[in-house]
Amino acid sequence: MSEPAEQAERPEQPGPALALTAPAEPDVVEQVQERLADLWESEGVDPGTAMRFEMGLVEILGNIVEHAYAPDAPGRMLTVEVEVRDGVVRGTLGDNGQPIAIDLSSVTMPDEDAESGRGLALALAALDELAYERDGGRNRWHLRCGT
Amino acid sequence: MIEIDVTTDSQGIGVVVPKGRLTMVSAPQVRSTLEQLVDAGTARIVVDLAETTFLDSSGLGALISALKTARKAGGDLRIARPTEAVLTVLRLTNLDKVLRPRDTVEGAFYV
Repeated sequence: MSEPAEQAERPEQPGPALALTAPAEPDVVEQVQERLADLWESEGVDPGTAMRFEMGLVEILGNIVEHAYAPDAPGRMLTVEVEVRDGVVRGTLGDNGQPIAIDLSSVTMPDEDAESGRGLALALAALDELAYERDGGRNRWHLRCGT
Repeated sequence: MIEIDVTTDSQGIGVVVPKGRLTMVSAPQVRSTLEQLVDAGTARIVVDLAETTFLDSSGLGALISALKTARKAGGDLRIARPTEAVLTVLRLTNLDKVLRPRDTVEGAFYV
């Protein structure tokens, strides 16, 4: 076995600081939060911004895992990309689930004794920007915290 | 992952301490722990959130569910010592009234 030839140095690309592809199962939440903890530390992100972004991201992840797929749908995979630039955190979540019909401007917080249905409302409250699009047979969510 | 400490104090009040992130990954475990306590006759419960580093809407759902179960059994569920992250979620969801944070575990049923 020979050593791989040293790769030519690539130009500096500000690619995502966190990029992950994983099965759309609940455990992905834990996986992403472990990676985010490292990212917040290495990038020195403002703790309040980091916290709000993470809240929004975890809610959207949970929403995908719980609602994007028909029961027993095979091949559930999602992607997570997060980048930090100038103190602004941006994320994109993609999944190969069913298209969803949603009007984010009509999402409201449910009554205080509700046991579910707070996810999107919490994400909207925590994030500075949240957008959804259907693109090339995939769902894509865009998240931002910070200006 | 989460670790959950459960004790009962001399007044018969159950004290539950979820240690770690309370998300959709761990919410079912927290929910069943709280339900089992009520089923076993401990309807007054304090959830000590001092070591709960993160809370999501699934975790909130588990707390609200247990709150209703405890009240149906003639007791109550109270939360104490929330971390900044937990407090933020309670405020953003307008649940800081129905789940009013108490400063101490010991005093949670007396204030």
